[in-house]
Amino acid sequence: MEPNNQAGVIIAEAVTKVYSDNGVPVEAVRGIDLTIKHGEFTAIVGPSGSGKTTFLNIVSGLDSVTSGRVWLAGRLLSEMSGRELSDFRRDSIGFIFQAYNLIPVLSVEENIEYIMLLQGVGKSERHRRVGRILEKLGLAEFADRVPVKLSGGQQQRVAVARAMVAEPVLVLADEPTANLDSKTGAGLLDMMRELNQTTGMTFVFSTHDRAIMERATRLVTLKDGRVDNDETRD
Amino acid sequence: MTLMIYCKLAWRNVLRNKRRTLIAGIAIGIGLAALIYVDALILGMEDNMVKSATSSFLGEGQIHREGFRQTFEVDLTVNNLAEVVESIKQEEVVESFTLRTFCFGMISSPANVSSVSMVGVDPANERHLSQVDEALVEGTYFEGDDDRQLLIGRKLAELLEVGLGDRVVMTAAQAGTGDLAQEMFRVSGIYYFNVPQMDQYMAFVLISKARQMLALGDEAHQIALKFHDAYLGRDQDHPFWNRYSRNGNEAVGWTVLLPQLEAAFELSGFSTLIVAIILFGVVSLGIVNTLFMSLHERMFEFGVMRAVGTRPVAMGQLVILEAGALAILSVVLGMILGFVTLYISTRIGIDYTGIEFAGVTFRELLYPVMEVRQFIVFPLWVFAFTVGIAFYPAIYAARLTPAKAMRKSF
Ligand SMILES: Nc1ncnc2c1ncn2[C@@H]1O[C@H](COP(=O)(O)OP(=O)(O)O)[C@@H](O)[C@H]1O
Ligand SMILES: [Mg+2]
Repeated sequence: MEPNNQAGVIIAEAVTKVYSDNGVPVEAVRGIDLTIKHGEFTAIVGPSGSGKTTFLNIVSGLDSVTSGRVWLAGRLLSEMSGRELSDFRRDSIGFIFQAYNLIPVLSVEENIEYIMLLQGVGKSERHRRVGRILEKLGLAEFADRVPVKLSGGQQQRVAVARAMVAEPVLVLADEPTANLDSKTGAGLLDMMRELNQTTGMTFVFSTHDRAIMERATRLVTLKDGRVDNDETRD
Repeated sequence: MTLMIYCKLAWRNVLRNKRRTLIAGIAIGIGLAALIYVDALILGMEDNMVKSATSSFLGEGQIHREGFRQTFEVDLTVNNLAEVVESIKQEEVVESFTLRTFCFGMISSPANVSSVSMVGVDPANERHLSQVDEALVEGTYFEGDDDRQLLIGRKLAELLEVGLGDRVVMTAAQAGTGDLAQEMFRVSGIYYFNVPQMDQYMAFVLISKARQMLALGDEAHQIALKFHDAYLGRDQDHPFWNRYSRNGNEAVGWTVLLPQLEAAFELSGFSTLIVAIILFGVVSLGIVNTLFMSLHERMFEFGVMRAVGTRPVAMGQLVILEAGALAILSVVLGMILGFVTLYISTRIGIDYTGIEFAGVTFRELLYPVMEVRQFIVFPLWVFAFTVGIAFYPAIYAARLTPAKAMRKSF
């Protein structure tokens, strides 16, 4: 039965994932039901190995489920081909990873532009949007630099800019602050929260850092591949 | 439009690890340079061998009576000689020709005897066809009408223990009757080809004298030919050969006269192929290795690119473009390397003189033959091959699932 897609950006239904680790089955996700609503600023938390990355990969189509179903922005992911998934991620999801988010041989500007290039956005429109987001995130002075010439915090900000620039439905961030010191990490999270409030964009991020999870409006705690706790705050 | 960004990415990625790119580029470049060089060397060798074989005496082609070539029978003279000669004079492809007589005979000096092939030549025309005049180390080429002049090789002179001006006696069987004829000659010149067959077993006399001695009248056994385009000697399908292979005569180019040489050339063509296959095998391993190395160390990057929406096919495309960029660098390196080494070799030459191969002794320095073709065809081969082989890592890259790619890198 089709769930009501108005109800959530992400709808996960009885999702499981079993990996084979040299022939030994590893149950990374053991049955998660979760709906993420529009505009939420959700933290997925839990100790290392609890299945955060696996879950985020599954709901963004980077990995497949073993059983269960996932709808993202109204599309059932398992129905899409590899190419459709690629295009869908390009248009609908912004990604921020723990580190090395950026293509090292491209400048900051070119990195942010990349997704729009894939989308076939015209040159002047691309420049307008890149300029605007660089300005907004205070990155304008770094436009021509290559990623190695930036600090870790600056690189993560550029990754946020790249994730936002094509105006996706959802931004997914897997431990975006794990490689940053706590102050820089908090700053990044504040920036993301502000973008969430001003644009209404949905954010889901994972962390195991207490100070970071405090900033979330909803806290989903995973334990051994299951939802252990799900609290909404204000 | 996205192709542009992938070209940019590919180019920058190749330049990213300069040392590895340089090493791979040099390896491929050396392969290409070797290919170019081997080809040029073989061409030079063929040219040299053909020249050595044809210009010292053989000629690029010959006309004789059918069967003469196999038996050297004195009776088998060229049919309708006068008519054939008139016709050849009109041939535009022929640069020069000369008439010769042949017979096996005995040459004797007070000290020794030896069997030789006595060749009667027309001195003025012979000059253009053979290098006996140039190979003289003592005495003079035929001068005046003294019909007792005789040119022999140095080995034969040593064997007979004769020098310039010494008398020798030649004995041969006449045409028709088979009666023995004997004539006295004076050694007027001694030559040295560094080719045993010529230095020991041949003796040159005036054709007029030979005809008289062998009772041949105005006949001759052979018309030796030289063409404006030396290639005609190799082109046995040219109508020229047919035109003169009639009335009991046969006209043949040097490839027929020296079948072992043509066979050797076919063999050397085959060896270029072997060299090419070995080089390409080594080079391809190098390319695949380089591409996989750079792929594996960028696994996470590939994962991120796939995650943010790069299509699987585009990832493969990127790997192919990187191989293309590497190939361009390598080909340029190889062409420079090939050109420099070849250029030097064509200037100084390679010394194989005195060495015999396929029945031909190298008499001049060997100069590799540089051709534009070598710098177009081989680079294209190498380029196409490099890009072709890249499909293997490209397919691998296209099949990577983003989650796996990113996990693999930790
Ligand atoms: N590709 C894989 N192959 C085998 N085991 C895996 C794979 N990916 C994750 N796992 C295992 O699944 C479990 C959950 O991992 P993960 O989702 O990375 O947790 P987290 O992100 O919360 O640290 C871990 O035990 C991990 O070792
Ligand atoms: Mg994780």
